[in-house]
Amino acid sequence: MLVELRYTLRHYRGQIIGWGLGLTLYSLLMVSMYSDIAKVDFGALLEYYPQEMLAFFGDSFQAISSPHGYMDLYFFGYMTIIIGIFAVSSGAKLIVKDEEDGLLDLVLSYPKSRSEIFWGRVLGYVVTLILILFISWMSWVLPSGSTSMGLTAGELLRPFWGLLAQLLLFGSFALLLSMIVPASRIASMIVSGLLVANYLTVGLSNINQDLKSIVEYTPLHIYQGGYAILGINWDWLLITSMGALLFLLLAWWRFLNRDLRVAGEGGWKLKEIFSFRK
Amino acid sequence: MNDFAISIEGLEKYYGSFKALHGVDLKVNQGEILGFLGPNGAGKTTTIRCILDHIRPQKGIIKVFGINPQAKPQVVHQLTGYLPGELRLEDNFRVEQQLQYFRQLRGNQIEWSYVEELAERLNLDLSRTIKNLSSGNKQKVGIVQALMHKSDLLLLDEPTAGLDPLMQQEVYRLLREAQSNGTTVFFSSHIISEVETLAERVAIIRDGVIVEESMPNQLTGMAIRRVKISFLEPIDPEIFQAIEGVTIVSSRNGKEVIIQVEGNLDRLIKTLAAYPVKDLETASHSLEEIFLKYYESDQEESR
Repeated sequence: MLVELRYTLRHYRGQIIGWGLGLTLYSLLMVSMYSDIAKVDFGALLEYYPQEMLAFFGDSFQAISSPHGYMDLYFFGYMTIIIGIFAVSSGAKLIVKDEEDGLLDLVLSYPKSRSEIFWGRVLGYVVTLILILFISWMSWVLPSGSTSMGLTAGELLRPFWGLLAQLLLFGSFALLLSMIVPASRIASMIVSGLLVANYLTVGLSNINQDLKSIVEYTPLHIYQGGYAILGINWDWLLITSMGALLFLLLAWWRFLNRDLRVAGEGGWKLKEIFSFRK
Repeated sequence: MNDFAISIEGLEKYYGSFKALHGVDLKVNQGEILGFLGPNGAGKTTTIRCILDHIRPQKGIIKVFGINPQAKPQVVHQLTGYLPGELRLEDNFRVEQQLQYFRQLRGNQIEWSYVEELAERLNLDLSRTIKNLSSGNKQKVGIVQALMHKSDLLLLDEPTAGLDPLMQQEVYRLLREAQSNGTTVFFSSHIISEVETLAERVAIIRDGVIVEESMPNQLTGMAIRRVKISFLEPIDPEIFQAIEGVTIVSSRNGKEVIIQVEGNLDRLIKTLAAYPVKDLETASHSLEEIFLKYYESDQEESR
């Protein structure tokens, strides 16, 4: 399993550096701006904003002067989409991309079980996401002392747990779907679409109350974002994490019980989804 | 002690409603080189992938050194070196990193000096990045990874694809050396000259069924021969009609007769002994012609 873990991390090395660097620069910019933002009287300014727009972003606009509102609006609110697209794309490609390319045909001919290959890669994927978020967290923690945010490293860490859980939930769903649909990019497109749709409907449900019943049980509705700084909702975090784990277990089961695909052998094969290898 | 490196009985495989294998029966003896010949889509790769348990057949029994790959795939993989037909590698790795990765997948039990020796013999630069390699050089990486752990069985799907003739000869030498060390080589190909050069035994697969299994020389020996006979004096070509398996192709004034003979030439020679023969030429069909005969009949049936 360690061989696959190392292989996956080496594969994502560039992504870790690229995403880490990008998020660091963005976080540093946001941290440096906080002291100035906190001094501004946003109450008067917000009166001129369209009510629908304010409603779309929930309470974050009203709480923009507070550290949690500021971080929610400028970072955690939409990092589920920004890093989420990477998590979904990587999850969909984690195993199936190598299968489509033909590399998995060779890798599976080595004396390693499918479980070792699967969990080694999943572990590498989880570590990659953790490293990207860790770099981002560090870039909030290190300069925050010189601002008026007044947050401890532990408090700053709280919303990252929720973000990680969301990324793993959508990423593992993409991994599961990649085991079912004919191509990794189809899985990636479907889950990315669901992610964006969930983000938009959660915002729109603040404007149109009829949508509340639809989004009530969706992942991003229970996502705390920057508000986790005030305290983590453990139930929601646990539910999201368990959902991710369930998707991973189902993906693993599919990987163990299906034929390896090669070019020209794709297809939906819906009746084979629940098939077992005899 | 199991006599067969590979034993396949009644193998059937469907891809959806398409039946790729129609009951393949094949035995590969330990220590032999078997050439698995067939046109594209005949079922060569599907058979190999069933042997490795990458795909599961709907019917049939496979044993590799007496081991069922479906029950113990890792044990079979431990004994096997595999080269896929469509080799893909990690583009951003250097050759050395790629081979180290494969070595780690075998628990680092491979002598790196042997990997370097193979790379040197194949003129492969270990420091180059995979994405900068030509298809022939990528194929060399595939050959090195298949050979580097000195396995008991080599499963090679089109082993010399993309290699220049010199490198092809080097690969043949490496495979013969592996065989002399006890390795069984099972390779698929549609390059007949390669099979003729390398294989001790040939199995021809067509439409998911093994249609011929023999030694290359037996296969060519069994074939129809064309015989051209020149006589000192004109003879009546009808004398050949009485010989079983002989067909007259042409006759020029009874002095030059061309016939086709199926099977051995014994009865023909004995018949000719009674006549004044000036010259006799025989041309046996090559493996290529035999292969094409199966292939063409396949195409005719599908029309």
